[in-house]
Amino acid sequence: MNRVRQLFAQELWSPYLAGGLLGVVGLLAVGLSNHLLGASGGFENLAGIAGQAVAPATFDNVYFNFVMPAVITWNVVLLAGIFFGGTLGALSAGKFRWRTMPDKQWVEVFGASRVKRWGIAFGGAAVLQYAAGIAGGCTSGLAISGGMLLAPAAFLFIAGMFASGIVTAMIVYRGRF
Amino acid sequence: MENWWIALLLGVVFGFLLNKAGLTSYHKIVNVFRLTDMAVLKFMMSGLVVAMIGLYAMRGLGWIVFPAVPATYVVGNLAGGLIFGVGMALSGFCPGTCVAGAGEGKLDYLIPGILGFLTGAAAFGLTYEMVFPQISRLAAYGNVTIGQLWNIDSWLAIGLFSAMSLFLFYLIDRGLIRKDRLSSAK
Repeated sequence: MNRVRQLFAQELWSPYLAGGLLGVVGLLAVGLSNHLLGASGGFENLAGIAGQAVAPATFDNVYFNFVMPAVITWNVVLLAGIFFGGTLGALSAGKFRWRTMPDKQWVEVFGASRVKRWGIAFGGAAVLQYAAGIAGGCTSGLAISGGMLLAPAAFLFIAGMFASGIVTAMIVYRGRF
Repeated sequence: MENWWIALLLGVVFGFLLNKAGLTSYHKIVNVFRLTDMAVLKFMMSGLVVAMIGLYAMRGLGWIVFPAVPATYVVGNLAGGLIFGVGMALSGFCPGTCVAGAGEGKLDYLIPGILGFLTGAAAFGLTYEMVFPQISRLAAYGNVTIGQLWNIDSWLAIGLFSAMSLFLFYLIDRGLIRKDRLSSAK
């Protein structure tokens, strides 16, 4: 029991342990509710709900009525869970803290400007979500959930993601890559 | 309703594991692309190996049926991945890790991050009919698995992927990564 408590209080776990357990979560999602884990799908439902509340005519289309309906789905509830899981993880190690900037490495490369960080976070997120739409899922919904079913789509996505991620990091970090 | 409790519970464990693996930090995500810290790769590949073996074993025993396999349409899967990598290397998060990080009190994840995802989602939904049917028709194979597509035993693919992962883990842990020369890395 003490060892379990110690493990929970530890800030970082071995990525092999955490990743292996994530595999179990992926299994349980299929075994218990015949669903795939996936974060980007829930954002599509939420955007539809918000959009139909603000501009009902614009958001009254095939996509938000049938493809990714503007309602609370299994994936939206999953998103809420992921949020509180993050809170629980931070609390368990005594690391919960409100903060507006990422770690030292960001500051070393991009400087301490909050406007710059928040701008890149917003733009990056919009790009990520649109890309996930085109690909058919994100890191969880396509790479992991598709990969575990052996869908070729997942491995194409992972290859593309690493190729452009490496090139982007090279450009951003230049001499410090 | 019962399903939603499962979704909530699995989500909590998912977010918790992302936090414990450190993937809710900017540097963990970016450094996998700089090849100086391979935690993201280790996390993903360990998860894949465990889930692949478990899923195919459970299906073999007749305990589960697979949900719809994500569709393979080569150009879209690859192009989406290419654009996704740019966003991930710039922001240092992806949809799941951003939500978990927001839960840790990271306001740059909670406010611009989540608003950005909603904006991207609205943009995709509103342009869907112009973009998606075209791109998903190119080199499309439908909801297939590697085993069905290449007519091989799925266990062969699982065995190869597992062996490749273990070999890669061995090489990484033996020191096959780049040294980080940033001062914040010390």
